[in-house]
Amino acid sequence: MIRHRRSLIFLLLLTWPLAAAGQPAITPPRTVDGVAIDPDAELVVALADDTTNMDPRIGMGSIRSNYIRQVFEGLVDVDAQGRPVPGLALSWKPVSELTWEFALRRGVTFHDGEPFNADTVLFNLDRFFRRNFDKWGLKDVLAATSFEKTYPFVTRWEKVDDYTVRVHTSEPAPTLWDFIGREPMVPRAYTLKNGVDGLNDRPVGTGPWKMVEWKRKTSMVFERNDAYWGTAPLFRKMRFQTIPEGAARIAALRAGQVGLIEGVPPFDAPALAQDARLKVVSSPQKLSCRLYLNARPKDKYDSGGKDGLFADQRVRLALNLAINKDAIVKKIFNGYALANASPVASVSYGYAAQEAYPYDPARARTLLAEAGFRDTNPLTLQLLFPAKHYGQSFDEMTPAVAEMLKDVGVQVTLKPVDFATLLQTASKGTLPPNGGFAACRTGNNLDADDYLRDWAAIAMINWAPYPPELMSLYTATRREVDAPKRLKLLADLQRQVRDWAPVVALYQEVKVYALSARVLRFAPLPELNMDFRGVAVKR
Amino acid sequence: MRAFLLRRALHAVFVLWGVVSAVFFLVRLTGDPTPFLVDQTATQQEIAEARTRLGLDRALHVQYLDFLRSVPRGDFGTSIREKRPAMQMVLEHLWPATVELAAAALLLSTILAIPLGVASATHKNGAVDHASRLASLFLQSMPSFWLGLMLILLFAVELGGLLPAFGSGSLRHLILPAVTLAAAPLAQNVRLIRSGMLEVLQQDYVRTARAKGLAERFVIYRHALRNAAIPVITVTGLSLGFMLSGAVIIETVFSWPGMGRLIVQAVPGRDFPVIQAGVFVFALIFVGLNLIVDLLYTVVDPRVRLT
Repeated sequence: MIRHRRSLIFLLLLTWPLAAAGQPAITPPRTVDGVAIDPDAELVVALADDTTNMDPRIGMGSIRSNYIRQVFEGLVDVDAQGRPVPGLALSWKPVSELTWEFALRRGVTFHDGEPFNADTVLFNLDRFFRRNFDKWGLKDVLAATSFEKTYPFVTRWEKVDDYTVRVHTSEPAPTLWDFIGREPMVPRAYTLKNGVDGLNDRPVGTGPWKMVEWKRKTSMVFERNDAYWGTAPLFRKMRFQTIPEGAARIAALRAGQVGLIEGVPPFDAPALAQDARLKVVSSPQKLSCRLYLNARPKDKYDSGGKDGLFADQRVRLALNLAINKDAIVKKIFNGYALANASPVASVSYGYAAQEAYPYDPARARTLLAEAGFRDTNPLTLQLLFPAKHYGQSFDEMTPAVAEMLKDVGVQVTLKPVDFATLLQTASKGTLPPNGGFAACRTGNNLDADDYLRDWAAIAMINWAPYPPELMSLYTATRREVDAPKRLKLLADLQRQVRDWAPVVALYQEVKVYALSARVLRFAPLPELNMDFRGVAVKR
Repeated sequence: MRAFLLRRALHAVFVLWGVVSAVFFLVRLTGDPTPFLVDQTATQQEIAEARTRLGLDRALHVQYLDFLRSVPRGDFGTSIREKRPAMQMVLEHLWPATVELAAAALLLSTILAIPLGVASATHKNGAVDHASRLASLFLQSMPSFWLGLMLILLFAVELGGLLPAFGSGSLRHLILPAVTLAAAPLAQNVRLIRSGMLEVLQQDYVRTARAKGLAERFVIYRHALRNAAIPVITVTGLSLGFMLSGAVIIETVFSWPGMGRLIVQAVPGRDFPVIQAGVFVFALIFVGLNLIVDLLYTVVDPRVRLT
């Protein structure tokens, strides 16, 4: 009897941690779509660069997101179409005009076993908004996004219970779910014990992959998180290998030494697609490339006493009509780009498709003449562009755009600069009155507001501040909490911004991936990162 | 000899001070790294705050004096991009990756160059000479990124993965990048040895050695090559410096985690501490190599005296 009781206790002890963690026993499938898979496989993914940090607070640029989001997750996740879906939060809703409530997922643990709960979220909110560092004894980091500056209307946050958090604001904040929800959550106890440097070097998240090795500038090795709460990857190991040179990435794929590569040059994609051992997939991205033109009033930049030459809406509209975007998409991007007249990326929440700017050089000339720019008094444009930063296609596109502008009588001086110089010029506000620059912008957030706020406050990329009527409409979109009403406002604002033309919209990126035919169910996200949940490797 | 070494050590201190000072001011002339660290929608106020937190708002001479105080301790500050000690990052890339690659390429370019250069000179205008000169011309003319990609296509793709296309950590990984890096110096050394040997083989002491009845191999390798090798030592010293510091393209093509790419990436990223630490290490290597080359002269040619 005693022996029997002991066995029972032993069995209970054995099974208790599993039950307590709320984890069902996982039996990984052996086949996918009727194809036998290798659950112990290692997938090597070639990327153009390594991340410089793994602490999401430091920054989440296009390279870094790829690494960080394998390990860390936010409250809000995205599906393959870029739509918001529950992540570490099961739901989010405004409970009053000035309060949002997040209901957290239960049974989630970080890779080191630390539970995820409301305390985790409060700690992370403290880090986002740079509060209570003394209380936590935590070193501050220089963060790319200053939440306390960008979202000053967020006033406080509170724990309702272990799995419910409320965030209070001083004004209605319909996008709070997005800017807080998409920011990855780091573990509280681990960060306090190891410091932010420890978190950066040896990151511990709740994501589908655990980082097990990081050789800087070379590779990062991940192991599947078998305790993952959602759909886990169906292979055991993954290595992100840095291969900076595009041709070398393609060669490594063709040699079978890597399983997936990103950033395939558009004109290499058809040849790779013809190889029976390979597949080519693509997805629109949020990266929107534009010409930013100096339309700032003289008190908003280091102007030498002159207003920006492009303050006249007709001029900016004329330049939009002078660009043959279809030709750019077809001839330079081989179809792997989108012409999008909306200021919002086509994959963002709240995007409303807008009527394309027609390619109409005659109308462009007329508009320029109406604005006072004729052959005797031509419009001049000093156009900076960051050479060798966005890739070869971008570098080919910019001179083509300059030629199209010359065709309608604009005297364009093209000035290639390094990216740092461009950033400095834009941030210091030292563009000449007739200046402009070609650049692309992207974001980690899902809501259209991420784009529409570009022309609200004077910032690096705001060279055409909203006029009062558009600013009012923009403010209304930021105050409206009712989703259908807000979507309508967003659509209205996009239409008006399209007509007002603060920038010359060039193209929206379509990212191309090539992968071994052995890699199954890989679907590119319209996000900065790749997602390997549910992906399998054929045996 | 002791006086020579002492003088060279003093020179080295001045050279290193000059180099780090020049780099300190030059990198700051390129502009401000802060816009890289903030979001694209950051306002000027946010950028100014970030600059303050990095200490870049202090007067330049204050930053410089701080810097000079830290350099003797090997403290070049923390990488602006990676938030890690800059010198540690540079040393991690120097050893083993850069040293391994440079040593392999140096071995290849000198060991192969000696027999090829000698054979070319001793068989002047023969088939071996023509083949060797043609190969040298080819290897010197090929851009290294093209040669590297061709080698990858041949050995990694066409020959079914005989050698890895990228990466480091084993002898197999080392072969293709080392061959690519060695190609141009090898060709240069072959041509130098050939022309040096052709000149030396006309000298009286070679004729004397032959007249004494010494074996031809002994005459060539013991008497002629030692004299013909002096310019090769100079060039090899410089080549090694290039291999240690400037193999950026090879590192990029083969994803080799060396120091060159680290520094070259730091320049457009305006990562001042990493650039400064990297250039300091490069300068140290060049100064050291020049000293070694000077000392080697005395070994190869006992007539040379260092004073």
